Amino acid sequence: MSDEQNGLVLKDVYRVFPGDVTAVADVNLHVENGEYVVFLGPSGCGKTTTLRMIGGHDDPSSGTITIDGELMNGVSPAERPITTVFQHYALFPHKSVLQNVAFGLKMQGVDKAERETQAKAAIDLVGLTKMMDRKPRELSGGQQQRVALARVLVTRPKAILLDEPLGDLDRLLQMKMRVELRALQRELGITFIHVTHNQEEALSMADRIVVMGDAVIQQVGTPEELARHPRNEFVAKFMGDNNVFHGTISGTNGGNVVIDTPHGKIEVKGTGTAGQPGSMSIRANAVQVSTDAVPDVNGVKVRLDFAEYLGDSVKLHLDLAGQPFLAKVPEERYTEIRAYEGKDVTATWAIEDGHLLEQ
Amino acid sequence: MSSDDAKHAALEEAKREVEEAESLTGASAVAVHATTGPRRSPLVTLAWVAPGTIWLLLFLIAPLVMIVLVSVWQKTPVGFDPFAFTTEGYTKLFDTPVYLDTLKDTIIRALIVTALCILIGYPIAYFLARGVSSIRYQIALFVFVLAPFWVAYVVRIVAWLPVLGRQGVINYFLVEVIGVRAEPIDALLYSNFAIILALVQLYVLFMVTPIFFQLATLDNAAIEAARDLGATPAKVFREVILPLSLPGVLIGCIFVFVLVMGEFATVRLIGGGTIQSVGTLVYDYYKLPDLPTAAAGATILVAVMTIGVAVLLRFSKIREVV
Ligand SMILES: Nc1ncnc2c1ncn2[C@@H]1O[C@H](COP(=O)(O)OP(=O)(O)OP(=O)(O)O)[C@@H](O)[C@H]1O
Ligand SMILES: [Mg+2]
Repeated sequence: MSDEQNGLVLKDVYRVFPGDVTAVADVNLHVENGEYVVFLGPSGCGKTTTLRMIGGHDDPSSGTITIDGELMNGVSPAERPITTVFQHYALFPHKSVLQNVAFGLKMQGVDKAERETQAKAAIDLVGLTKMMDRKPRELSGGQQQRVALARVLVTRPKAILLDEPLGDLDRLLQMKMRVELRALQRELGITFIHVTHNQEEALSMADRIVVMGDAVIQQVGTPEELARHPRNEFVAKFMGDNNVFHGTISGTNGGNVVIDTPHGKIEVKGTGTAGQPGSMSIRANAVQVSTDAVPDVNGVKVRLDFAEYLGDSVKLHLDLAGQPFLAKVPEERYTEIRAYEGKDVTATWAIEDGHLLEQ
Repeated sequence: MSSDDAKHAALEEAKREVEEAESLTGASAVAVHATTGPRRSPLVTLAWVAPGTIWLLLFLIAPLVMIVLVSVWQKTPVGFDPFAFTTEGYTKLFDTPVYLDTLKDTIIRALIVTALCILIGYPIAYFLARGVSSIRYQIALFVFVLAPFWVAYVVRIVAWLPVLGRQGVINYFLVEVIGVRAEPIDALLYSNFAIILALVQLYVLFMVTPIFFQLATLDNAAIEAARDLGATPAKVFREVILPLSLPGVLIGCIFVFVLVMGEFATVRLIGGGTIQSVGTLVYDYYKLPDLPTAAAGATILVAVMTIGVAVLLRFSKIREVV
């Protein structure tokens, strides 16, 4: 309309199902062409619904979706320059791998020889040339997924939507496919929008992550931004390995606010008004653990329940007055720190590592 | 528990039936040996296989064996002589062209009825399975479509008489209401046309039901994927829905073909004695009584039906590979 933007733009998108179920609310998002964006959120938060609206399999109750400035509302999936890799792949069981991959071109009216040449190239790209004549049921889960990918790639879409593409695969294959998907996306230079509820997967693959919760976008950011600066408690908790404190703001100190919590005073960068509720989060790997005395601010006395060896680090499961508290220390400290299992230790962190959360 | 009881009761009854048949035909030696054989085995696996095997033996193999035996046994004034074989039953059938002509007519009729059942049944099944969105309405409509089946078979046949007869509804309409004909058409009843019409009405549900279930359980994601890749509704049907529903069509074809091949009551009542099927022919020999010839006719019919089903299955295999 007024300002034409490249890429995919969702503006004030809502989806309300009959029975007043609001599956998606107030979604505003701009995805640049060539970006790898991951929608991340717990089950039922509206990820699939959002993806279906982008793909044209569902329409927003209100709001607009545009691709390269063109309004997509009401446009059929076939006419959108994007295709979907469905959850569980949705291959055609009665067609061979080659026929599955060539399907999109056949629908476009491309003649047989040409579409087979292109389909073979796409099959080659995903490394399944040897299995071209097999039926989907004669393939493993990972191979089926590659067929699903080849089937959408061959139509040269501007963007590919993937709904839980790695959900059906075992962990080892998931790791492998993460790398392959990312490499493929770089090679092709097209937009990938990928839905998952696995934060590790999102962090490892995305250019940008869109965290959804309770039908709304909670935060959009790079993996690093989300890991370091979760905007609110929902994101902090969902991204994992964050400790959250709640309390009341008692005043300010330079550029910091001071929050009075049941576990002591905490100073954190930011602004706030005295008397208002305040929350902050601190990442597990920014927490230091020692036997020093507990300082007046930014320090708590905790009991070490269990030191979990992770190979490259040690995750400490601590008990803060009955609540779980996490810390991560370098792997070299494992032997030393294990001696404290069942004993009280002191957890501290630097002011600049703490993070003030939105209420 | 209850299903076991029911199975047991059914088995008992079947055994009684077979015993009755045995006493009539003197075929006890074969049947008894066959039913008691596997039971004596101590192997657990055999015990598992036994019920199904006994079932097959009682309901499929034993009757077939009996028909074949009767067709070659020498008739005596008091029954059969199991030690004298004759092919008289068969030669009698092939002496005149009647049997072969009737067989040919029966096959053609069965093929026409099967084809018409596909043409009529597929759209009905499609509408029920994919045109009706709520499962509740789907089931309600399905039961409604099934409703004619609650009426006894003969009643459903007889119901055609006032429709197709000389003074029936159609003739009344043609002659009295629109007046396109001066005289009523006799050929409406007692014709191949009438028989085929009645048979389609009788058996179309055997086509609708398997197609309905095949379509109702179809993977919606595959259809969405086809749409996503640019398929028009017609292409979605041709490329995805139709091929995936073919197993249902195949099962329907087998049902209808086999049932119509064996048909005799409809042909007799609607055909009014002038039109024959293998079934009515066999029945006529049976009434004479000429059991060996009747059994020979039935044996050939079963053989032809088996070949027909084998061809259908073969055809479907080929479809799957291509
Ligand atoms: N067709 C529908 N009718 C009514 N409610 C629906 C429909 N589809 C989805 N919902 C509801 O909308 C909400 C969001 O569903 P959605 O499928 O988008 O979740 P999701 O984030 O993809 O979850 P998951 O990770 O479990 O796949 C859910 O509460 C769901 O019950
Ligand atoms: Mg989902």
